[in-house]
Amino acid sequence: MNVILFNLSLLFYLLSTASYMIFLVVNKALFEKVGYYVLFSGFCIHLISIFWRYFHAGYTPITNIYESLSFLSLCVTAFFLYLRRIYRIEILGCIITPVIFLMLVWAFSFPSDIKPLPPILDSYWLPIHTVFSFSGNAIFFIGFFISLIYLFVERGIKKKRFPSISARLPSLETLDLINYRCMSYGFPFLTVGIITGSIWASTAWGSYWSWDPKETWSLIVWITYAILIHNRLTIGWRGKKTAYMMIIGFFFILITFLGVNLLTGGLHSYL
Amino acid sequence: MHIIVFGLNHNTAPIEIREKLFCSENKLPGLLKKLKDSGLDENVVLSTCNRTEIYFCCETPEEYLNKIEALLIEYFCIKNEWLENYTYSFIDNDAYRHLFLVASGLDSMIIGEPQILGQVKDAYRIATFHNTAGFFLNKLFHKTFNVAKKIRTETKIGYNPLSISSMAIELAKKIFIELKQKKILVIGAGEMCEVALKYFKKEGLSDILITNRTLQNAKRLAENITGIPYPFDDIPELLTRVDMVLSSTGSDEPIIDKELVVFVMKKRRNRPLFFIDIAMPRDIDPEVNRIDNVYLYDIDDLKELSLQHLSDRIKESEKAHAIVEEGVINFSNWLKQLDKNPLITHIIESIEEIRTSELNKMFNKMKYSDEEIQKNMDLLTKNIVNKIIYRHISLIRQNGDPSALDVMKQLFRFEEDNEKDMEDWD
Repeated sequence: MNVILFNLSLLFYLLSTASYMIFLVVNKALFEKVGYYVLFSGFCIHLISIFWRYFHAGYTPITNIYESLSFLSLCVTAFFLYLRRIYRIEILGCIITPVIFLMLVWAFSFPSDIKPLPPILDSYWLPIHTVFSFSGNAIFFIGFFISLIYLFVERGIKKKRFPSISARLPSLETLDLINYRCMSYGFPFLTVGIITGSIWASTAWGSYWSWDPKETWSLIVWITYAILIHNRLTIGWRGKKTAYMMIIGFFFILITFLGVNLLTGGLHSYL
Repeated sequence: MHIIVFGLNHNTAPIEIREKLFCSENKLPGLLKKLKDSGLDENVVLSTCNRTEIYFCCETPEEYLNKIEALLIEYFCIKNEWLENYTYSFIDNDAYRHLFLVASGLDSMIIGEPQILGQVKDAYRIATFHNTAGFFLNKLFHKTFNVAKKIRTETKIGYNPLSISSMAIELAKKIFIELKQKKILVIGAGEMCEVALKYFKKEGLSDILITNRTLQNAKRLAENITGIPYPFDDIPELLTRVDMVLSSTGSDEPIIDKELVVFVMKKRRNRPLFFIDIAMPRDIDPEVNRIDNVYLYDIDDLKELSLQHLSDRIKESEKAHAIVEEGVINFSNWLKQLDKNPLITHIIESIEEIRTSELNKMFNKMKYSDEEIQKNMDLLTKNIVNKIIYRHISLIRQNGDPSALDVMKQLFRFEEDNEKDMEDWD
């Protein structure tokens, strides 16, 4: 059942991607709308499948790579749907939908069967810590793509060369505003994620902070975004600087999220 | 029935000749009437600063072309050889094609410019108002508006602006979310500024700050376009308050240098600032463009962009020409269909018969009738008939409900032997 739901949501994400790709080529608003609603349906099915897994497994299904990638793409989809409702950034869908789809395909390549929960994860901190951390990551994930678009548009205006796509991209101010939203929503989530994590660590491992690679890297991520927000509020870091920092921060997130697990060991070996 | 266009445009005639043949809106009805009096049932005159064209339909093109030439020579008091040297005429397919090209801006001096469509619409409106556009030209002009609209929406022919002012606005829109809440500082009070500001005002920009070396001129411009004048020395302070700067002074030295902008950006906490420098020599140090969140476009940048947009339009015009060809084929098919359908010819003929016979009866009855009244009655009845027939014909053309066709055949006593032709046609 879970597999059926998951496959169904995968199919919807694929259809949405296709629709967004057609929109990218032919530039008819209809395809964007279709893509958006199909994505929304896919999101709902995906959400149901995660709930189904939650009730079936008896624990929050964010315990291995498969579940993590699946949940992360759910969060990314949710935040994209939210942004799409508020700002006119239709073109972002053309980048986000294929990424979501590929992320889920990748998730599928990892073992997906429900296993008994390792005793060390059996805690009420599991849902709190993971949901906050993942939401924060998902928001910065979108921020990364927004920043890429920003740099592209900015370059065009500075160099005075406009490829034909640039007419369909949002204004610099819009992109910068969304970036600001990303950091001001993402940062609190990330902070709460780290704090709850360390509280959980104190109960599970006996100390709040043990400098394992995952902890260290998430601190680096936190510091990166903290610098960004601080400088934005004090000396007005905007535009290109923000975009670069968002991109750097996102690479640190990637290292924290995947690199640490795939490359090194450490206490967080189950993600 | 043929549709013909006769006229001249910026490609065939120099401005002195075009001026002579220009027909302003108040002179237009007179010309339309003269053409109608010469025996043309349907005519539309399009006259702009770049062209004067007469669209008409008749059965004998050669005869009427000569008539029209004579009429124009008399009406505009021009020399005979002018018309020979500078005019063109197209018939049928070439005429429809020409009108489609004109209306969609493909025949304009600035390719893809949108004003011409409005001018074609006006010309048609005036002609219908004076009852000189009938069944065929009505159809042709509606088809024209269709084609022009299709070209607007399906190609990018009019997509990128060419004028300096509209390009500056396009650029501002790439930088800012909404122009309505933005402030603009204008340095200089010349005509260039005034023209550009009008465009900005159209976008809803209301906060306009104006400064000039001679404060008096700034005040004058401020009054003209409801802005606020400031002394010239306030520029550094003003720069911290505005989002856009439009500069066009006669100064030999740059007014704004990099140092000043670096300083200002700190005070602005890096809120983006957009400079449009349309002065020659330049008012703003080009180095300013290197500063983060500062965007500078000078007159050369804008001109180059304009050329680029023009070449984009020329590329797009291929697609537009394809749409025009499609329209030409559609329209000529429609006309052919019209000729071939015996029911339609039958209806037109039988109604015309009724009309002329009734009209003649009436003329014979009237004791005090003069030519004027007769002509007006002729016109009135023709228009009524055309309008009524049009619905019948379009119903037949749609080939819809057979029972409706049967009713129509009964109504107009369509004979059985004609029936066979009708089937062949189907």
